[in-house]
Amino acid sequence: MIKRILCTLLLGMLSAQVTSMAGLHDNTPGIFALTHVTIVQKPGTFIEDGTIVIRDGVITAAGKKVTIPEDAFVMDLSGKTVYAGFIESYWKKENKKPSIFNFGDEKKKEQKRPVIDHWSKKVHPEASVLDAFHPNDKELEELRKLGFTTAQVVPAKGIFRGRSSIVHLGDWGADAVITENGPAQFMAFEHGSWGDPGYPGSLMGTISLMRQTFYDANWYADAWQFYNRNKDKTEAPQVDRALGTLAEELNGTRQFCFETKHELMALRVNKLANEFNLNVWLKGSGYEYRRLSEIEELNTFVILPLDYPKIPDVDSWEDALDFSLEQLRHWDQAPDNAARMVEAGISFALTSNDLKNRSQFRTNLLRSIERGFSKDDALAALTTIPAEQFGLSNHGKVEKGYAANLMVTDGDYFDKDTKVLTLWIQGKEFTLEHDLPHDVSGNWVVSFSGGLDLNANLELDQTKNKVSGKLVIDSTDVTLKSVENESHRLTFSFSGKEFDMDGVIRMSGTKQGQSISGSGVTPSGEHISWTASWVNAKEKEEPSDKKEKKKESASEFTPLFPEGAYGFSTLPERTDKILIQNATIWTCGPEGTLENADMYIRNGVIEKIDSDLNISGKDIYVIDGTGKHVTPGLIDAHNHSSAFAINEGTQSVTSEVRIYDVINSDDIAIYRQLSGALTTANILHGSANAIGGQNAVIKLRWGHDPDGILFKEAPQGIKFALGENVKQSNWGDNFTTRYPQTRMGVEQIIRDAFEAATDYAEAQGLDGFKKQSDPNSLPVRKNLELDALVEIMQGKRWVHSHSYRQDEILMLTRIADDFGFTIATFQHVLEGYKIAERLAEHGAGASTFSDWWSYKYEVIDAIPYNGSIMDEVGVLTSFNSDSNELARRMNTEAAKAVKYGGMSQEDALKLVTINPAKQLRIDEYVGSLEKGKHGDFALWNDHPLSIYASCEETWIEGTQYFSKKRDDKLRKKIDEERNTLIQKILASDDEGGGKPMKPEGGWHEHSYSCSEGGVK
Amino acid sequence: MKRIILTLTLCSFVFSSDQVPAPVQAHPILLKDVTVHPVSGPTIAKGQILFENGKIIAMGNRIPSIPDGTEEISLAGKHLYPGLIAANTVMGLVEVSAIRSTRDFAEVGSFNPNVRAEVSYNPDSELIPVTRSNGIAIALSVPQSGLVSGTSASMMLDGWTSETATLKAPIGLHINWPNMTVSHSPWVRKSTEEQKKERNKQLRELDDIMDKARAYVKSIEADKSSQKTDLKWDRMAQVVKGELPIFINANNVQQIEAAVEWSTRQGVEMVLVGGTDSWMVTDLLKQNNIPVILESTHKLPSRRHSDYDEPFKTPKRLNDAGILFCIGSNSSAFQAAHLRNLPYTAGTAAAHGLAKDDALKSVTLNSAKILGIDDRVGSLEVGKDATLFITDGDPLEVMTTVEQLYIQGRKVDMSDRHKMLRDKYTEKYRQLDLID
Repeated sequence: MIKRILCTLLLGMLSAQVTSMAGLHDNTPGIFALTHVTIVQKPGTFIEDGTIVIRDGVITAAGKKVTIPEDAFVMDLSGKTVYAGFIESYWKKENKKPSIFNFGDEKKKEQKRPVIDHWSKKVHPEASVLDAFHPNDKELEELRKLGFTTAQVVPAKGIFRGRSSIVHLGDWGADAVITENGPAQFMAFEHGSWGDPGYPGSLMGTISLMRQTFYDANWYADAWQFYNRNKDKTEAPQVDRALGTLAEELNGTRQFCFETKHELMALRVNKLANEFNLNVWLKGSGYEYRRLSEIEELNTFVILPLDYPKIPDVDSWEDALDFSLEQLRHWDQAPDNAARMVEAGISFALTSNDLKNRSQFRTNLLRSIERGFSKDDALAALTTIPAEQFGLSNHGKVEKGYAANLMVTDGDYFDKDTKVLTLWIQGKEFTLEHDLPHDVSGNWVVSFSGGLDLNANLELDQTKNKVSGKLVIDSTDVTLKSVENESHRLTFSFSGKEFDMDGVIRMSGTKQGQSISGSGVTPSGEHISWTASWVNAKEKEEPSDKKEKKKESASEFTPLFPEGAYGFSTLPERTDKILIQNATIWTCGPEGTLENADMYIRNGVIEKIDSDLNISGKDIYVIDGTGKHVTPGLIDAHNHSSAFAINEGTQSVTSEVRIYDVINSDDIAIYRQLSGALTTANILHGSANAIGGQNAVIKLRWGHDPDGILFKEAPQGIKFALGENVKQSNWGDNFTTRYPQTRMGVEQIIRDAFEAATDYAEAQGLDGFKKQSDPNSLPVRKNLELDALVEIMQGKRWVHSHSYRQDEILMLTRIADDFGFTIATFQHVLEGYKIAERLAEHGAGASTFSDWWSYKYEVIDAIPYNGSIMDEVGVLTSFNSDSNELARRMNTEAAKAVKYGGMSQEDALKLVTINPAKQLRIDEYVGSLEKGKHGDFALWNDHPLSIYASCEETWIEGTQYFSKKRDDKLRKKIDEERNTLIQKILASDDEGGGKPMKPEGGWHEHSYSCSEGGVK
Repeated sequence: MKRIILTLTLCSFVFSSDQVPAPVQAHPILLKDVTVHPVSGPTIAKGQILFENGKIIAMGNRIPSIPDGTEEISLAGKHLYPGLIAANTVMGLVEVSAIRSTRDFAEVGSFNPNVRAEVSYNPDSELIPVTRSNGIAIALSVPQSGLVSGTSASMMLDGWTSETATLKAPIGLHINWPNMTVSHSPWVRKSTEEQKKERNKQLRELDDIMDKARAYVKSIEADKSSQKTDLKWDRMAQVVKGELPIFINANNVQQIEAAVEWSTRQGVEMVLVGGTDSWMVTDLLKQNNIPVILESTHKLPSRRHSDYDEPFKTPKRLNDAGILFCIGSNSSAFQAAHLRNLPYTAGTAAAHGLAKDDALKSVTLNSAKILGIDDRVGSLEVGKDATLFITDGDPLEVMTTVEQLYIQGRKVDMSDRHKMLRDKYTEKYRQLDLID
């Protein structure tokens, strides 16, 4: 019964049911029997000398013993192989990217859009990809040449991009559509740029918009339900077709397919999936091999590109320097990604998307197979797996009842010499090699008669359809010109000079078997007849230097944690029992600094510190601290490393965005900062707007994934900013229209946000607010922006505010008082010394620079005594870096408080240890060496405030993440690996059709600083 | 009552004037019982140094004859060093880097050999007293823009006018070597092809400039010359005649190699400025006798796989290779305000392998040699300027205090904007009874 329905459906596709018939009806016969073929029924199963019967687009029989129907047209395909047509899983038609760097052009007009659309032009889940899909024959043929007969068409633009459709890749038309309403909603982490301004302008904003939109969709469903029950009493919710669509999809079985460009993005998707209970697919990046186990745990289906980088140009040693080890390793490992995915048990389909030239797909696939990706797995990833995932129950196999979407080859598809000859799509045959010219190469004897009377030898060379040749008369050569051999017709001309004719003699002819005959004219217009008979083949000059391509083998490298230089082969393990002996221990706690002291750390926690701990045991790891100093791991309360985005600067209030959504645990800054004894950093949003995003406090657990480096016990916080950056003072002359442009406006925008948050909290009667809700109003829409502000007022979220001038600092403390909360820290706070008594009274901490000043007007009065004055007046003070460079030298920054202001050395060290810990409300765990606290410490070879000191080891919770000894070994390993890889590249035959790898040089793709554009 | 008295006595601080340039040395000064660090020779414990009319006239363990009227200052427990020299800065050419009207270091156009740093040096810049408070006596102020930026000047960080503050000018003609590699940073808008084209155009231009300069010299020196004076070629003439060295700003190894090749081919005296990758080509630099002004050590490693301490140990690597080098600044407008950290950049080099004495040289004598002012400054030697400072310890250590600076024997006002603001607001908290 089911089969019959399927057949009927397919039959229906063959003729247009609803199109008006303009001409004659098309009743071309559709019954075929392909005989004597090798049938690859499905991965791993094949039949030799089989027969396939196709009736109106459906396979009605396929096997060894098949009765050929009387009405079938029999095609003998001896020696040929038939596969199920491939399924292209991700056919995205890329639009040209808008040019970036329309710096400051904020006046770009948005197109008029329907009022029922979502407010963000990047959110259109209701869109059908076919609305704007017009493939041309060239694109279809490009796919067919690779063996694709079916494709999932994927929308290319936006964040919520819309739904895919599944189509046949034969003749394009409505009857080629298999499913308009495809299996998935497509999502991408797209955001604006200078050329495309508007929210979201960063990856952080995009994720927040996704999150808010999912909440909105759920709310939308609830709101309509509520309205439908209370129509007489309630106002109707605003119509929004995007939210309507999403609400249905969230309740249904639709997949949400996220496009990823980096393996860490895959992990990020998982967090969203868990938050909203989504069925998730991933469009892979090709970098999955770097975090296989984490991706495997997601238990999701991946659509995998085969985009391998072009061979890096390492011909000169200088140029080679600019390729990072990570890049060189990627060149080597990228072709193994698929095989490693199989090994890890991750289900995936392949796509030819992402390639510079789609035709590179097969080349790359064959490279992977040569390196160990199995043919069966490859075939499955192109047929049965996508068919199953996309719900195409009658696609992907060559079996009875399946669609007659087939590929015919002259051998094993995965052999590079095999040609794809024809495809069958919807029962129609598509020939791929059109108009092959007759081969005319060889030695011929030719006789001319008429206007030219002559016997000669004719020598012709042909490669593909390019022909060249000459006439040999006795020992004279006459070169043929404009030789063409097309559509079975050979034409050429030659100079009449040898024959005492002034001009060009033209000839044409056709080949029949072993002879060519035709006619021509002399320069004076006399007729010539000619015939040529084949004598023998030309001796081919084999290019002697053409060597056999070297066979590729799988990379010997395995990814590091993180991949690239200084990564770990395996994640470092905790040392359960650590005893440091006979060191100068700067506890930064009540015990002060202890000379010749011991410290014992068990299971990552400090157990004892004393002058002579009597602890021994075989399993204790002993560090001899003689002549050395031990300090707590340093803490930086203002840092912008380790994140893929820093500013969502498109709006003045963006409290919904979260740095911890975009943590980049692979940032080399982590390793470098560890080398400077830093163990904890407060990763803050930038200062482009008054209420910025939520921060993330991290531990520098190098090698772990983004979740693994979060300081889990740290309370939540948020970045505010005041002054010039918020007013866009130093952004250039184009930035003069966003509110606010004055410090007066900054105050109002913040006050206004808290008023709105108060109303929102009261409407819900949240903790700490009186309930002011109306039972007849729609349910309150969850607003992530206001949630964060409510949390501030509830004391659950700590404000860290960028600030410089005393007036703005005072202003913010007043707002905080008015709304009943305390500012955790003023950041920079370079005029804090002018109103230190107010900071102390309010209870705000001050996280300042040691000595920065005069880089912009609002720091004209900054002084290096700021820290010591504030400290003396009773403000909880710390020194921060705001710089990946300075974050490696926080100890000597602290020493500046001794120099400027005469702070004691112990108190100075506290500026980068216990004080920032207190400011971040993590002093219960870190910041000093005390019993019960985390075993985060650094071992120094000298007095830690001395310029001559360097950090020898850095430990976090009993795990060593940095040591000079290990670093020395790593340097050697890096050099060796680079040499090995460069030699491999130099010896490689890789012709490199991929996208060129851009040498990283000094620019690390993922490093950001809020100092860009003067936004410090 | 007690508080009122206290307040009154402190008013003198609060209302004190801006820093006043010191008068010329009026009488001989003998600093004694001090540890003298001449840099050019061994340290003299409990040493003496005598200077008159701005010049050092005697030094040693015990100076036999002290002129009449000598002011004798005993500095037991203190240390004496030659004034520090900051190479490659925009000192005096900028006040607040974000404010355009205070930026005077980048003339428009790509070929500006004629512009001179000393003429736009603002002797009243607030940055100057702040910088000299840490022992920095001399800064090389350098024009920045284009391909050929202009000539630099060594400026003494005290003086009534730009003219009295000039120690020597011009020091060198500054060139920014073209980028030899293609940048793929998202902030670069030019395509690979455009970048290569621009680079080749600039390289060609550098050769053309030298040819034209030689033509100008030939023409102007001819007996019957119709050549009119040209400010730009006049300055270039000094270069081709060997009167003015060329300071080439180059960081990347390809730039350094190309710059050395060019300067050798053109037969000009070259100083390498920047020199991030200089440690990779020490043989080349040594063979061609090219000194290096490193732009700080406090910067990030150049490439992702670089050693984490790469910039920290570049000084040691150059020193080991026998290359004359000094540590300067990166000449950014931001760094001008933070030049006072110069000694600590040398300290960091010492923490990573460079001997402490060599580290000190890298901000004193070596700098003076490279700038061609070592006949006047850079070390404590008889006959040199009495440009020196007194500390309570090692000047490369952050915690050390610089107590007094002399420039050409003139006792420099050690106050600065920061100390004044400190005093002003300390007074506020005294008034509020929050501090003693």
